[in-house]
Amino acid sequence: MNLLGKKKRAQSWFDERFGISGIVKFLREKKIPQHKHSLWYYTGSAIMLFFVIQVITGFMLVFYYNPTLAEANKSVGRIMTEIPMGWIIRSIHSWSSSFMIAFVFIHLLSIWITKAYRKPRELTWMSGVFLLCVTLAFGFTGYLLPWDDLSLSATKVGTDIPRSIPIVGVWVTKLLRGGEDVTGDTLTRFFGFHVCILPVFIFILLAVHVYLIQKQGMSLPLAVESKKEKIQELPFWPNFVYRESVVWLILLGILFTVAIFLPPSLDKSADLMAPAPEGIRPEWYFLFLFQALKIFPAKILFINGDTFIVILILVEFLLFFFLPFLDNKPAEMKGKFITFLAYVTIVYAVVMTVWSLL
Amino acid sequence: MKLKYSLFTRRQFLNGLFGGWLGALMVSFLYPVIKFVFPPTREPDQVILPFLDFKDMKPNSVKVFSWGSKPGFVKKNKNGSYWAFVAVCTHLDCNVTYIPEQRKFFCACHDGWYDENGTNIGGPPPRPLRRLILIIEGEDLIIKREGVK
Amino acid sequence: MMWKMKRLLVFSLLIFLLFSFFLLKLNFAQEVMEEEQNKITQAEENAEKIVPSPKDIKESIGIYVFVVWMWIAIIVLIYILRLKIKEVDRLFYIRFFSAKKK
Ligand code: FES
Repeated sequence: MNLLGKKKRAQSWFDERFGISGIVKFLREKKIPQHKHSLWYYTGSAIMLFFVIQVITGFMLVFYYNPTLAEANKSVGRIMTEIPMGWIIRSIHSWSSSFMIAFVFIHLLSIWITKAYRKPRELTWMSGVFLLCVTLAFGFTGYLLPWDDLSLSATKVGTDIPRSIPIVGVWVTKLLRGGEDVTGDTLTRFFGFHVCILPVFIFILLAVHVYLIQKQGMSLPLAVESKKEKIQELPFWPNFVYRESVVWLILLGILFTVAIFLPPSLDKSADLMAPAPEGIRPEWYFLFLFQALKIFPAKILFINGDTFIVILILVEFLLFFFLPFLDNKPAEMKGKFITFLAYVTIVYAVVMTVWSLL
Repeated sequence: MKLKYSLFTRRQFLNGLFGGWLGALMVSFLYPVIKFVFPPTREPDQVILPFLDFKDMKPNSVKVFSWGSKPGFVKKNKNGSYWAFVAVCTHLDCNVTYIPEQRKFFCACHDGWYDENGTNIGGPPPRPLRRLILIIEGEDLIIKREGVK
Repeated sequence: MMWKMKRLLVFSLLIFLLFSFFLLKLNFAQEVMEEEQNKITQAEENAEKIVPSPKDIKESIGIYVFVVWMWIAIIVLIYILRLKIKEVDRLFYIRFFSAKKK
């Protein structure tokens, strides 16, 4: 009894200074609507789970990784062969990145389709698009770090794409590569991006994103909102968090099982002078882009095919970024068309991805 | 003995069970993490050096070799016998040097002194320098950790 | 009834999506393995390639034990979580917390 009383006292001491109970109260009052599209509410926290795993395993890998031309490949090899459990940690980092990006895509498409970006959530969507960019940049920079043939070629191709943008393109490529070509400097630079610059950005963006979600509450899909009946709601804490924990546990189990039984391998150190190996391929989440570049003709309407496609991508990206403003009448024909576009995007991405694998 | 009232509510029991399993799971995740972060850095059992390199040493001088990731000294004594030390101060891990004129080992970090046998004679070092077993076998100089066959 | 079916559909789609990524990787890993086998006959160039695996029998047994234990723990935890969810939902529906406040 005495012990319990002490615990209470300690809690209230802490609470007085920190105000935990205010947060708990807020979370208790935060309501999660329950309807048939509620499943999508879990994708955000799944991303968060993989993000945390990325941070932890990343901290661990950076203890042994050496971002230099001579040592990068060797140090990854050392992690995989000499350091106890090293291959599992690397495998988890690599798999978890794939999972995270997969869930980012699912999260994004679900928001597109349920139109959760409607007023007043435009800024949440925009911060989300930035988060998508940062996440993909994480994937892209991380792919180079093991410095084997595959990653070198993928980086050469990837950093050359911006070159096709008129005027600024050349400078973007130079900025990414740290010079005209991909060299050891590129590796060091990418390492810097991967472990210093991008983490700062992702934490800031994440804070904004999560804050906006807390401020505005969960959005309701259009179909549910228009029904006008009373929707069942559950408190976020603890009812919804327990449900999320179930999802987390399952995902964690799947992640570790896959990571243990299908660890990524490591090729020999990349040779800057050697010709590109056969079958080069970026990570799966860039395949649709990769394939598009492959199949585009060299010249379209007097302009370079590459320039054309890069400009196309940029325009698409801008439209995508301003989607909440374009989709200002969600219930009408225009809104329906925009939802339809989401499905088109899915089909396009899947077809291109499968095609590039054939 | 049968208690009239249960000491725990069902809720407390569930919470305890949940926390216990969760804790156990977390510990099993923590184990590989700890293994990874603290890799075993094993000291070599022995190193074998060509004796040729050490043949021409002057008496009362030392020559460095690498004992794993630490420096070691092969010391030729005045009577021509060879000894081996780990050349690391027993105080706070600095590398020591040998001063032939004074026939002493010296550690610059906190002014530590050892005599020519490696015994600590001045300054903060608490213990003598670590001796290694040195065997000359034909062409080879074999240096072993104590207690290794 | 109808919307339960839909939920099932969405669930299975999600799981399919998830696993299709594994398949991608799996397929890729197999290809790499085949390539490697081809190359071994050609030259020893690929000798440097590192394909990670448990170091010895002890480690591989340890890994199997770990995976089994992890899944058992996860299943038990999910079972307890379901009980807890039932409890907190009931408390919420009888307005346990809001009644206390007013
Ligand atoms: S470390 Fe040698 S005297 Fe302190």
